Amino acid sequence: MIEAIPHTLSSQGWWIISRSSAMVAFVLVTASVFLGLTMAGKPLREPQFTKTMRALHEQTALAALVAIGIHVVAVLADPWLKPGVAGVAIPFVLSLNRFWNGIGVIAAYLAFLLGLSFYLRRYIGAKRWRIAHRATIVVYVLGLFHALGAGSDTGSLIFLVFAAVTAVPIAILFVYRLGAGRRAGERRRRAVRQRSRAAAHEALLENS
Amino acid sequence: MTTPRPRAVVIGSLSLFVVLFVILTFELSANASTKTGKTQAAAKARPAPAETKTEAPEPEEPATEYAESEEQASEYAEPESEYVEPEPEYVEPEPEYVEPEVEEVPPVVTSSS
Repeated sequence: MIEAIPHTLSSQGWWIISRSSAMVAFVLVTASVFLGLTMAGKPLREPQFTKTMRALHEQTALAALVAIGIHVVAVLADPWLKPGVAGVAIPFVLSLNRFWNGIGVIAAYLAFLLGLSFYLRRYIGAKRWRIAHRATIVVYVLGLFHALGAGSDTGSLIFLVFAAVTAVPIAILFVYRLGAGRRAGERRRRAVRQRSRAAAHEALLENS
Repeated sequence: MTTPRPRAVVIGSLSLFVVLFVILTFELSANASTKTGKTQAAAKARPAPAETKTEAPEPEEPATEYAESEEQASEYAEPESEYVEPEPEYVEPEPEYVEPEVEEVPPVVTSSS
């Protein structure tokens, strides 16, 4: 077996790199989304805890982007697949697993756009950024389906267990966040109504 | 609780990458070292080379089909070369068991007078 390793690396090295980096990227995206959703739920209002969570969220997101980049380069360099630049850059061009690889390309673009938008908050505005940042869950969902549909290791038990174990809490946290967002919106609207009512009352008192 | 350093995430990710790389390399090498493993690995790992090209004309024959047919051919050839005409089975005749007849001897009655 040992004597076969050099041949394996020379013939399938890029494929091994693309598989390994894809799995690392999936783990990091999962961790980042999980941390983001947990932070949004505000489990603890302790500032140091929030700071730690935010730092981990940012670091895992950036590491995931690096892993996605390595995955794309490795797929591009794979001598067996030969996808060409169009195959990895334009969704649904690569004819191998066209649909699943297509959503993988879209997921990669979204990951870079939404991930790096954090550093452009000053230009796009905090409110707009927050709305866009909520769409990050789409990156995770598309990445999961890309992995399940086109991944070489989809059948492995470790991957399936990891995907199932992480998908369930992420789904629960996402639903909770949606509910929390709706509740916060109602609170804000109620506060605005109260303020305007109070202002109208004051104006009425002044006039009388 | 202190703010985690980026180094921890970087080291963790790199470690995971290296572990996965080593596992996959060993797995593929182990498959490649056996003949059947080679064909199985080729068929499993690279499922449809015909579909890989981006908008390219269809290749004449997909590699997986080729690998499979090769495997089938080798499997087909093997029993032919090892074929040995079966010899007529010798069945040893079982000796007939004949129960020995036991002569019934009437009891001798002696009369004492």
